[in-house]
Amino acid sequence: MQREVGSLPLAPALRAKLVAAGFQTAQELLETGPCGLSKELGISKEEALEALQVVRQECPGDVARTAGGSGITRKCTALELLEEEQAQGSIITFCSALDSILGGGVQLTKITEICGAPGVGKTQLCMQLAVDVQIPECFGGVAGEAVFIDTEGSFMVDRVVDIATACVQHCQLIAEAHQEEDHLKALETFSLESILSHIYYFRCRDYIELLAQVYLLPDFLSEHSKVRLVVVDGIAFPFRHDFEDLSLRTRLLNGLAQQLIIIAHDHKSAVVLTNQMTTRIGQNQSTLVPALGESWGHAATVRLIFHWDNSQRLATLYKSPSQKESTIPYHITSHGFRDVQPPAVTQNAEDTEMNPRKRPRREEEK
Amino acid sequence: MGIRSLAVSRSRLQDLGLFGPKGRLNPHCLLSSWPCGAVSWGGGGGAEDMVVLRAGLCPGLTEEMIQLLRANGIRTVVDFVSSDLEEVAQKCSLSYKALVAVRRVLLAQFSAFPTNGADLYEELKSSTAILPTGSPSLDQLLDSGLYTGEVTELMGAPGSGKTQVCLGIAASVSLGLKQHVLFLDSTGGFTASRLYQILRARAEDGEEQLEALQRIQVVRVFNIYEMLSALQELRDRLSQQVVSSMGPLKIVVIDSVSAVIYPLLGGKHSEGLAIMMQLARELKTLAKEFSLAVVVTNQVTRESSTGPLKPALGRSWSFVPSTRVLLESKEATWEKATTQRVASLAKSSRQPTGIQVELDIGNGDVQELSPATLTQGL
Repeated sequence: MQREVGSLPLAPALRAKLVAAGFQTAQELLETGPCGLSKELGISKEEALEALQVVRQECPGDVARTAGGSGITRKCTALELLEEEQAQGSIITFCSALDSILGGGVQLTKITEICGAPGVGKTQLCMQLAVDVQIPECFGGVAGEAVFIDTEGSFMVDRVVDIATACVQHCQLIAEAHQEEDHLKALETFSLESILSHIYYFRCRDYIELLAQVYLLPDFLSEHSKVRLVVVDGIAFPFRHDFEDLSLRTRLLNGLAQQLIIIAHDHKSAVVLTNQMTTRIGQNQSTLVPALGESWGHAATVRLIFHWDNSQRLATLYKSPSQKESTIPYHITSHGFRDVQPPAVTQNAEDTEMNPRKRPRREEEK
Repeated sequence: MGIRSLAVSRSRLQDLGLFGPKGRLNPHCLLSSWPCGAVSWGGGGGAEDMVVLRAGLCPGLTEEMIQLLRANGIRTVVDFVSSDLEEVAQKCSLSYKALVAVRRVLLAQFSAFPTNGADLYEELKSSTAILPTGSPSLDQLLDSGLYTGEVTELMGAPGSGKTQVCLGIAASVSLGLKQHVLFLDSTGGFTASRLYQILRARAEDGEEQLEALQRIQVVRVFNIYEMLSALQELRDRLSQQVVSSMGPLKIVVIDSVSAVIYPLLGGKHSEGLAIMMQLARELKTLAKEFSLAVVVTNQVTRESSTGPLKPALGRSWSFVPSTRVLLESKEATWEKATTQRVASLAKSSRQPTGIQVELDIGNGDVQELSPATLTQGL
């Protein structure tokens, strides 16, 4: 292998020693062997052995290369990818307008970022998705489990209970209407208890805990292979207050983004992040922009911005590799995330709250 | 001091624009404008000037010779070649003739040879190809397309359309030229269904579309080492000319290069910078040696929260691409959704910078909507 020594993932001090001693390619390293290496560089035999192991891993040589990494091929033609994508499902949000602008729902293997001002419904959507990911395949879902990483403490279990109950009722209605075998079978396992027991909840209080949790996530996911959704509610919160060194923040965020992309791709799950909004003061006006800076904008593959227009909540698809930019209205009811009903239906008026800035309180229904 | 042969690689000369009017190398330019220490001992594979003298490096260089030379402070090829051989012969009590013979062989092995500018021009004319990007206005901006042997960079804010333009380029090369494309994806943004949409808008025949899809190979690389090893694999495959399903490759698209480098930059260590320059060198040598067009995408950052946008990865990276295109949305804020984009030329060795064209990245095609306009400055 003619791989240059400078491009191998070795410790910097070791790399500097190798270059000073005149080694150029990985082949030379492998030929020298551990004893010769330790003599030339003045390092211990164990260190030399370790270094050679790393080199051997990086350059498998002429032996037929097994699928790289943990057995997951990352190399394929576009045709194969197309077939894969068409067979993949997506996580529906129960708001058909939002699903249509997202291209069917929240896409698996991609990072979706939801930005919005406080109270606009980001956590509501996250909770809705944590329930929707578990919908059985016969009803159009992906039958997966969810990981919910909470940094702000805004996860309300009773709200999830409401959403889950509504979802189960919805599926029961469909099953009654169609009367098919697999629908009824699936409904046996799809109940409130099973939904709640398949949402894995982690609470991270500061950025170090968050980083540790994300870096430990691959091990967790390999044990729970049915997880299809990872939600990080509030990725901005631990990074925004109390951070003096901004360049460190950029580096950490970028490393986090790459780690999340790897998780999304290798485990075929959707990663959903929520972000806050900040004000950018321009020449003669100020605009609301997503927080965490310019470079963070590149981390997410799909970006949704939730905002208000008087008392109507709107969702704008701002960045997507396959869908056009568009804006749709949505609604948050006691059942969860829903489409906006046409104004003729009077039931709608009761659901709209008095104070448009606050999350809707649970009305006494029926 | 002995005669030090000033051997310079041809690409350095080209980059510095030292050709005279008739295409011949102008020696005065060379001597006056050459910055010190910039002479590259580049041979075939970009060998460093730190090659240590070893037995068997060339016939006549025995182990005892090496020991004697080392005892007198001559460790590398450069030390040997640049030292006064008479002195060395006296100090190390070695034969002068043998030393001269060894030096001749070492020079032949390690130095680069200067070429005539006219020959270089002829070679370039025969080996360079210009690849269409699929969008006529973008082609106009790039002086008729993507040149092989060069690195072209697309930069822009999130959502400005870099991935869309890359998909358009891949579709156009695969469909129009029937050449293979290597797409290195580090952001997870490669969506095959969108690529299929673009292909469907350009070709009617279903067979053609499927064949075009098969010619595009996608590799997902999520950190810098994976990217370097993917490029290394490509280089091995091309240099061995293995007849595989790969076929004739003319273009490598990397989306994006900053996603893998950003986590390494900054901080107290300059490790990130070293790896970045490794990648830069790998890309440039790939482009030059195998006549490939390399397209990379880059992010933009702001210096402070109110400063202007500038390309990411800093000054060192800005010397790597020979052409830089900035993509911007026509509307200033995200509140007004649009598929219109403006592409402006930020760096080019062939066209004046500052020219802009309009692109439409939606509706299944990267197509032009209005003719290019020339504007002053950026």
